[in-house]
Amino acid sequence: MSASVPAVSLRGITKVFGAVRANNDISLDIHAGRIKALLGENGAGKSTLMSILAGHYLPDSGEILIDGRPRSLRTTKDAIRAGIGMVYQHFMLVEAMTVAENVFLGQEPGFFLSPRAMREQVRTLAQGFGLDIDPAARVADLSMGEKQRVEILKLLQRKSRILIFDEPTAVLTPQEAEQLFAALRSMAAQGKAIVYISHKLGEVMALADEIAILRRGEVVDELPAAEVHSQSDLARRMVGREVLLEVRREPMELRQNVLRLQDVRTETLKDVCLSLRQGEVLAVVGVAGNGQKDLVEVVCGLKEPKKGEISVLGKTWQAFFSAPAWQGGLSYIPEDRMGLAVCRGMDLVDNFLLTTRQGYSSSVWLQRDKARTVAQELVRQFKVQPPDVTCQARQLSGGNLQKLVLAREFHRRPRLIVAEQPTQGLDVSAIEEVWTTLLAAREEAGILLVTGDLSEALALADRIAVMYGGAIVDTFPTGDRERVDRIGQMMAGMRPDADH
Amino acid sequence: MTPEILLALLAATVQAGTPILYATLGEILTEKGGILNLGVEGMMLVGALIGFLTALHTGSPVLAFVAGGLGGACMAALHGIVCIWFMGNQVVSGLALTIFGTGLAGFFGTPYIGRTAPGFDKFSLPLLGDIPVLGTIFFQQDALVYFSFLIPPLLWAFFRYTRWGMAIRAAGECPAATRAAGLNVLAYRWGALLGGGVLVGFGGSYLSLAYTHLWTNGLTSGRGWIAVALVIFAFWKPSRAMIGAYLFGGIMAFQLRLQAMGTALPSSILLMLPYILTIAALAFSSWRSERTHAPAALGVNMEPSE
Repeated sequence: MSASVPAVSLRGITKVFGAVRANNDISLDIHAGRIKALLGENGAGKSTLMSILAGHYLPDSGEILIDGRPRSLRTTKDAIRAGIGMVYQHFMLVEAMTVAENVFLGQEPGFFLSPRAMREQVRTLAQGFGLDIDPAARVADLSMGEKQRVEILKLLQRKSRILIFDEPTAVLTPQEAEQLFAALRSMAAQGKAIVYISHKLGEVMALADEIAILRRGEVVDELPAAEVHSQSDLARRMVGREVLLEVRREPMELRQNVLRLQDVRTETLKDVCLSLRQGEVLAVVGVAGNGQKDLVEVVCGLKEPKKGEISVLGKTWQAFFSAPAWQGGLSYIPEDRMGLAVCRGMDLVDNFLLTTRQGYSSSVWLQRDKARTVAQELVRQFKVQPPDVTCQARQLSGGNLQKLVLAREFHRRPRLIVAEQPTQGLDVSAIEEVWTTLLAAREEAGILLVTGDLSEALALADRIAVMYGGAIVDTFPTGDRERVDRIGQMMAGMRPDADH
Repeated sequence: MTPEILLALLAATVQAGTPILYATLGEILTEKGGILNLGVEGMMLVGALIGFLTALHTGSPVLAFVAGGLGGACMAALHGIVCIWFMGNQVVSGLALTIFGTGLAGFFGTPYIGRTAPGFDKFSLPLLGDIPVLGTIFFQQDALVYFSFLIPPLLWAFFRYTRWGMAIRAAGECPAATRAAGLNVLAYRWGALLGGGVLVGFGGSYLSLAYTHLWTNGLTSGRGWIAVALVIFAFWKPSRAMIGAYLFGGIMAFQLRLQAMGTALPSSILLMLPYILTIAALAFSSWRSERTHAPAALGVNMEPSE
């Protein structure tokens, strides 16, 4: 383990998906005994890069050196054999089995097993790295933090030397995160190379030895953590000051109020207040997991608030969502297109009818011919490819599926639209079309845009609200240059009035 | 009821419960690996017929018993081809297997109706058979009953103390995680399915070789279905399967005695008893249980891309 030869060396890695250059000529060195943070916004290419290292994809060009020797990682097994282990956001555990059984699954020393010896070995291993866990517990009974420790123990049992953590604190409580950090430092001290993927600035500064910043698939900055002076310094390096994608946003006349939240509380929301008028786009920005999900669910009637007052299209929350035909005025464009917005196995006409039943039925019968004609027209108008209403939703690409959802929702002429990450995973041209469509919908509707993409918020919104820790830190007009410049800090939890 | 009659009834209970025990244990092994096989009734019938024919033609009961088990495994293999290779629907395939097995056994068995074949006779185990009460109930039986006593503890130890057992459980609970651990999920599912088929076949051949010694069509008369239900009652645990199987064996033996003694109850009501008990046991076991004990991926085929 000489200090001069990196444990892993990525040289000129490029990976293209369709029109998207996910990784462009990336070169990185990862050293044993050090923690390297990979920082970047959603879609910056962090996960793609690490998936290449974990053997899920082959790069289009470039090479990977392990201990200075080139290795081809064609499958996850190749990666495991090369000593690379990854802790995913979605755990790969057998819930009904014990911690010890999960750690030893596929690594059994012989045909006959000794549960007691397995438990003892897991206990020793866990103690060696400061991971607190009961080896006899059933995984189903564990907290998310404990499950993550089981995943880490699996890698340690395999003697992985290069450990990759993909946004590991996304599912953890603050105390569990602290324990994880201690374990990560202990693993690094024992000679493991650690890669830490995150977009949380505070964590990265507290933990990392070196920081690499990715933007649009390229490494834009690489520096020792000691050279970073403040979170705002890091935020500026991460978000950058690039030219934003331009769409023309004509000012609209603001009309009646369509949504008002007053001191709304749930398990995660903390006294949220906001208001939205017809003709307006309000962007809620923030790092994922800071209460955006609860906000959307409350506004769309999927979750009941614990406290506070909400008025939706002039009615109280209770009155609005208990009425049988409330769908009329409210449209929800969910982040999970395949899962929540459409039924994969149904054709486009049926998917059109999913949220648009009014006007397409007589007594108990659906008027499919009428629905087909309208769906056909919408598909043509929104340029959905393929323009065939008899094909199934699963056959559509992400961008075309989103266009279908928008076409369906806007056809109902909603007065309140809740759009959640509407352009996530779409390519540049599809993004442009979705943005144009959303802006056009302001004619009749107020739009609550929940996004993790700052450039999207700046391009579309009239006002921006920054969320952190379940609360709205600040709300300001997009024209307020000074506060826009500090969005990155606010997303990291710094008060808007605090001096930088 | 005199003590002698009660003891005889309890001994008959163990005998009547044994074929159900074999079949239930077989289905537990299969389902632990994540494969739902509703073909137990058909597999038992085929096992019973193959066992009977082998005994008739070779004169060797032991060979016949083994052949019956292999017959069950062959039927299970059909289920595996449909569900594991071609990822067909496990419920449909299992139902088809029952219908197919019933027809197959009826077609080839009809010429043999009423014929007898050499089988297993009762003998008292030395020492154990002399224990008062328990000896009479458990240890004055045939060799296949004694053999069936060994399987629940062996199966329990297999799941808990062997690599294969753990892998089969993992394959039935979370195939994706099992594959991620570098194990071949489909191979373990095949193993559990075929092993379970052997046990189900044993249950069938017990009926023709030890229970009746002769062939009639429809010999199983729903015991396969009772076994499928008992797996749920047993929470997929071999030890509880033993309790369940003897409970049903008891009801079956009891209603036979009642009929023989000439009760006023119509025999059709008595014949219904085991099945009514099945429904009651299922309702009761899930009513009192907090969580489902079923393997999480039971009946779910694994897609190659997962």
